[in-house]
Amino acid sequence: MKRIKNHPILGETPERKIVHFTFDGKDMTGYEGEPIAAALKAAGVMVHRYTAKRHEPRGIFCAIGRCTDCVMIVNGKPNIRTCITPLEEGTDVKTQYGVSAERNE
Amino acid sequence: MTDIQEVLNKIGPYEPAADDHLLVCRCEEVTKGEIRKAVHEGMFTIEELRRYLRCGMGLCQGQTCGKLVKGIVARELGVPVTEVTPATSRAPMRPTEMEIAGNDGGKKA
Amino acid sequence: MERYDMIVIGAGPAGLSAAIEAAKCGIKPIVFDENARPGGQLFKQIHKFFGSKEHKAKMRGFNIGKELLEEAEKAGVKVELGATVTGLFDGKEVTVRIGDTIKHVQGDSILVATGASENMVNFDGWTLPGVIGAGAAQTMMNLHHVKPGERILMLGTGNVGLVVSYQLMQAGCEVVALVDAAPRVGGYGVHASKVARCGVPFYLSHTIVRAEGDDHVTGVVIGEVGPDWKVKPGTEKHFDVDTICLAVGLSPMAQLLSMAGCQMNDTKGGYVPVIDEDGMTSIDGIFSAGDVTGIEEASSAMIEGRISGLAVANYLGYIDEDEKQKRIGEQEKALDALRQGMFAPQNRGKKIEKTEEGIPVSENLLDKGYIADDEIARYPGVTRKKGIHPVIECTQNIPCNPCQDACKFGCISIGDNITSLPVVTEDSQCTGCGMCVASCSGQAIFLVEEDVEPGYGEVTMPYEFLPLPKKGDKGVALGRDGKVVCDAEVTKIRSAKAFDHTNLLTIKVPNDMLMKARFFKSQE
Repeated sequence: MKRIKNHPILGETPERKIVHFTFDGKDMTGYEGEPIAAALKAAGVMVHRYTAKRHEPRGIFCAIGRCTDCVMIVNGKPNIRTCITPLEEGTDVKTQYGVSAERNE
Repeated sequence: MTDIQEVLNKIGPYEPAADDHLLVCRCEEVTKGEIRKAVHEGMFTIEELRRYLRCGMGLCQGQTCGKLVKGIVARELGVPVTEVTPATSRAPMRPTEMEIAGNDGGKKA
Repeated sequence: MERYDMIVIGAGPAGLSAAIEAAKCGIKPIVFDENARPGGQLFKQIHKFFGSKEHKAKMRGFNIGKELLEEAEKAGVKVELGATVTGLFDGKEVTVRIGDTIKHVQGDSILVATGASENMVNFDGWTLPGVIGAGAAQTMMNLHHVKPGERILMLGTGNVGLVVSYQLMQAGCEVVALVDAAPRVGGYGVHASKVARCGVPFYLSHTIVRAEGDDHVTGVVIGEVGPDWKVKPGTEKHFDVDTICLAVGLSPMAQLLSMAGCQMNDTKGGYVPVIDEDGMTSIDGIFSAGDVTGIEEASSAMIEGRISGLAVANYLGYIDEDEKQKRIGEQEKALDALRQGMFAPQNRGKKIEKTEEGIPVSENLLDKGYIADDEIARYPGVTRKKGIHPVIECTQNIPCNPCQDACKFGCISIGDNITSLPVVTEDSQCTGCGMCVASCSGQAIFLVEEDVEPGYGEVTMPYEFLPLPKKGDKGVALGRDGKVVCDAEVTKIRSAKAFDHTNLLTIKVPNDMLMKARFFKSQE
């Protein structure tokens, strides 16, 4: 289980609203308002995108919006930093290939 | 003013190294070897390297690789890291869509 | 264009503190922060801070953050979140992106408190998903309640690497090794010790050779580095891991100041603005405070912020020079106290052989992360006597003294010099209350009592993991090195509000193990 339910210092994780979203067309659930990257991480998704030149996989690296490695296509828009973009009901998330949404083959 | 030829003579030709294939700039996928080679082609400042190779010019704007690139250049030139001219800081500091930059609410020219 | 008396960039410890002090003088500052929540990195810090009372010592970082936010609200500080400052220009003009618009605002004064960013190292496979910054690990587990991984290797033994390793274990992850290319542990010995006694091995003079895996990390290879910083052939070691965490230092994030044209200084510690004692840069009215001016602790950043806030108030004419000096004086004293000891900025990179008391520093601590059994007795907090008493395994001069205040019975003395090693006084009347154990931010205090029953004594230790062992649980005691020393049984577990989530775990071990048993592991 990747979610921390109870923590020795922070206590029990507060109840949050469950929302549904899609990742590459697959139905998934996460918590409302948490970063998209956190929901994906909890679901075991490691690869967020493949790079333009070498076609190498990338995922979460800095988790605070600096490194831009976690960018994905969110609701059709490419290069969205998933580590700082909150998850909402119905968010559509896609693996990004290269730097634009077009080449999402 | 730096005498480029003098520096190039001093540092000698580019010698391939075992770790040249390592990525340094994650965004623009620039390797250590490319950066090292560029130094021997006369690019001694971060600014020049950015224009020449695009390292530090991707989405993150050099937030991740800036220090690494500086270290490589310093080693190649045989000078302390603090002597390598850092990149010029320019707005915008974070990725900004052209559409939004274009609608900037400042004074119109 | 909107105008403000004072624009603060960054709502972390320095920025908020500056805004609070300025607001108390009558200024109405605006604070811009790009994040969704204020507080900077404070809300990821779940360990207890060092220092003394005026530095909020023994409080956990996130609670200090909460206090700071309350203080800011009370002072009327306006914090605008999701507001990314994208540029700082002539005439103290700032461009800030809020949502999908870029706004131009101007300030009569600007305080840049943008903090720092993490340094990175590159090795084969460093771009694989599963290689993350230590800050990312903290963000995921402490803010978003998601484990960064199951089996993790940490690179870096500075305070960040040590503290985050411990936090990973608290979150239920396994830390398989701590690796550092340097030959010595970089962070506080007490932070290293609390990780080491949980059984995490330290590999100093080692580095990562490569991360393994196709689409994400499945393993890591480390190797020993020689004097030329290259890996010695044949020293490679493999670990099965799903995550590699990088904690190799921080760099000031001073691009806005450089963009504004402030005079900069390229130092070993990063590219930083030249500032005067009040934090004013070379540009009149632009101030700077916190990590952006040089990496230190959050405690120092908060004081620097307060000083700059008062300086801004004086600059704008809200308080006169006398008033400023009077108020800054107290802050400067507090800041000076923090900048003392072995880890003070002026001692960075120096190898310190002896404590201020003249006691040799534990070589083993610097090399393996724990104090060897034959080294421990030489420190003044480590005494043996009849009856229950504290054993303080505090062996480095760091500015910290909550243990002295915690004991109401005069057992512990540090004196006026905040970096002195704590001394257990001869004629003390320890009642075994455990307040000192819970108060020690470094988790370095234990209660020891011989002959509780024939041949057996008790050790009481700080315990911050789940599940909490219960009275009667059987298991093993681990030594400072994390290796099993003997069987042990839990005789008491105490949790109190005053302990602030540091539980006191008491175990029964043979008398001759009382000075060795420092951690407990339940039998599965």
